[in-house]
Amino acid sequence: MAESPSPNAALSVNLHQQTPIPLDAEFTVAPGEILALIGPSGSGKSTALRSIAGLYAPSRARIVCNGAIWLDRDAGINLPARARRVGMVFQSYALFPHLTAAENVSEALGDLPAEARRDRARALLARVHLDGLEDRRPAELSGGEQQRVAVARALARRPDVLLLDEPFSAVDRVTRRRLRRELAELRRELPMPVILVTHDLDDVVRLADRICVMRRGQILQTGPVEQVMTRPSSAEIAELLDLAGDVPAVRQPRGSA
Amino acid sequence: MDWEALWLSLRLGGLTVLLLLPLSIALGRFLAMRPFRGKAFVEAAIALPLVLPPTVLGFYLLVAFGSATWLGQIYERLFGHTLVFTFEGLLAASVIINIPFAVQPAQRAFEAIALDLRDAAATCGLSWWRSLRRIELPLAWPGILTGMVLAFAHTLGEFGVVLMVGGNIPGETKTVAIAIYDRVQAFDNEAAGRMAALLLLISLAAIALSFALTKRVVRRYG
Amino acid sequence: MKLKLLGLAVLLGNAVFGMQAARAQDVPVIAAASDLQFALTEVADAFAKESKHEVKLAFGSSGNFFRQIQQSAPFQMFLSADEQFVLDLAANGFTEGDGVLYAIGRIAIVAPHGSPLVAYGGLAGLKQALADGMVTKFAIANPEHAPYGRRAEEALRHAGLWEPIKDKLVMGENVSQAAQFAVSGAAQGGIIAYSLALAPEIAKLGNSALIPADWHEPLRQRMALIKRAGETAQAFYAFMQGPAARGIMRRYGFLLPGETS
Repeated sequence: MAESPSPNAALSVNLHQQTPIPLDAEFTVAPGEILALIGPSGSGKSTALRSIAGLYAPSRARIVCNGAIWLDRDAGINLPARARRVGMVFQSYALFPHLTAAENVSEALGDLPAEARRDRARALLARVHLDGLEDRRPAELSGGEQQRVAVARALARRPDVLLLDEPFSAVDRVTRRRLRRELAELRRELPMPVILVTHDLDDVVRLADRICVMRRGQILQTGPVEQVMTRPSSAEIAELLDLAGDVPAVRQPRGSA
Repeated sequence: MDWEALWLSLRLGGLTVLLLLPLSIALGRFLAMRPFRGKAFVEAAIALPLVLPPTVLGFYLLVAFGSATWLGQIYERLFGHTLVFTFEGLLAASVIINIPFAVQPAQRAFEAIALDLRDAAATCGLSWWRSLRRIELPLAWPGILTGMVLAFAHTLGEFGVVLMVGGNIPGETKTVAIAIYDRVQAFDNEAAGRMAALLLLISLAAIALSFALTKRVVRRYG
Repeated sequence: MKLKLLGLAVLLGNAVFGMQAARAQDVPVIAAASDLQFALTEVADAFAKESKHEVKLAFGSSGNFFRQIQQSAPFQMFLSADEQFVLDLAANGFTEGDGVLYAIGRIAIVAPHGSPLVAYGGLAGLKQALADGMVTKFAIANPEHAPYGRRAEEALRHAGLWEPIKDKLVMGENVSQAAQFAVSGAAQGGIIAYSLALAPEIAKLGNSALIPADWHEPLRQRMALIKRAGETAQAFYAFMQGPAARGIMRRYGFLLPGETS
């Protein structure tokens, strides 16, 4: 079920490609809104995320953020990742192993003088509840702590878009719940559009405003979370969302209109 | 002990390494990035000096640098003397034949850097230069250094190419390896033995150092 | 950081251009045929004592030096074991004039101690040893570019030995290497320069016997200054023709121009 584009969309994404990775996706995200991209592996959600980040450019694509054209293959525009103000949390966190937590965050603050960088890095780490651990290297931090550093680093640049690629998948359930709660608190202060790629329906339910179900590069359905979860537009989607049982507080929709 | 030859060899090794350092970083990094058409060809070309017999290399270098060629003549006009049979000619030959020793470990080191680290650097807004300096080099330097150590040791031991391109000119192209050969021919086995033992020690030290460096990489981030 | 780069640049410049400075110091490099390995070293020492000037000696096969000098190798003087090389260089303008004959060389058969071959038997003895199957390896310098090798071949042919022995030959790249092979046990013997056979380092390892001079072309050894040779080289060139040098050369079995054996 397609959705009419939101009039105050901060980010609009249009991705089309046949090989090597099939993509046929269009969606928009409003400022402050969290869009979850969900789907089985190979559904193209990570590729979509990387395209927005500037790490990949599908053959026909157009990405506009806050009025600035980041990618327009037809017009020959393709801003490299460093030129786009994106913040990205990688699935493996991709923390620089030889730098401390504070240094990891300051790397993203390159255009500030050293003093300001240090202060802002510490402030960001405090915001993600890591004060006291600024001088530890990633190897000396737990999985949950590393994830928080990754989030702080992603936010350091005050990005125009925040991208999260399965940010909770590498930790145990208890830690995942805690991190999710912290992110839910943090998001209230986040003015930018946020895209969350995940397998986990709990993430969707507890964090996302809208959901975009993908399969083999195509969007099957987009819409507010509650709406898609209670009224999936096809059995396939219902199956993908695994609505047969696990998700709490959502009625069984099998075969309903 | 031919001190002049030893100093010559050390200078040759040191300068070769100095010149190869930026080249190995640039090429190693370039080859570690995404695949491109013709990459296999480039890698094979870089590896070529490893398998070519030294005399073949020496022959082609002699032909390329000698005063009969345009390259040799341009050089001669610029500097007043030929490239062959001079220290500079030896240096040029040494840099060329040591390319695989320097580039391959550097390439492996850059390849070992997790792909998403580079992606993360990009999303943090780092320019390619800052990414190289702050992220990649600190992680790749043990491999790069290994390449330098190997190139240095290899230069000290190089014989066939040195003889053909450099001749055996004391103070100019008579390296320790050549000096050993020279002393044997003069039936001076004691001097030859002393220098050979020294080269052996240096080679052992080089191997030990490169092993230690490799272990360091594994320990740090493995 | 900048200071380090500067320091590095200074080191680099010094290392490379230090070479230029050394060249300017006029310690000439003299190219000499390998048969002069010991004789010329003594001459150079005598020269250094008398004139307080040093020369650097590079030994190798005359053919090799001939080629290198044509490619502008930085030698300032060339002592060849075959005068044709010098004359050819002169004809092509590489030398100061035609040079001068400095010695007539001789070849000798050598055999290390314990070899089934006995040197004083000469080539006849070699013939016998070959027939008896006692000789499997015999060393000479490579006739392609070493004059002493060529003369060895001529002498062997003269004695009718070339055919039977040629498959058993080990060729030295120059006559010094041939001497190496001949007395170190790698071969049962060889034909090398008489001047090498007389040198104490080699004489102690085996026995030798002169081969009659009329069994081969004469080893007319010629030397010349290379174009633009410096003062020290010129002084050495003159010294080489003086009585002190001639005396040393005589001791190493060379015949001197103007003298008969």
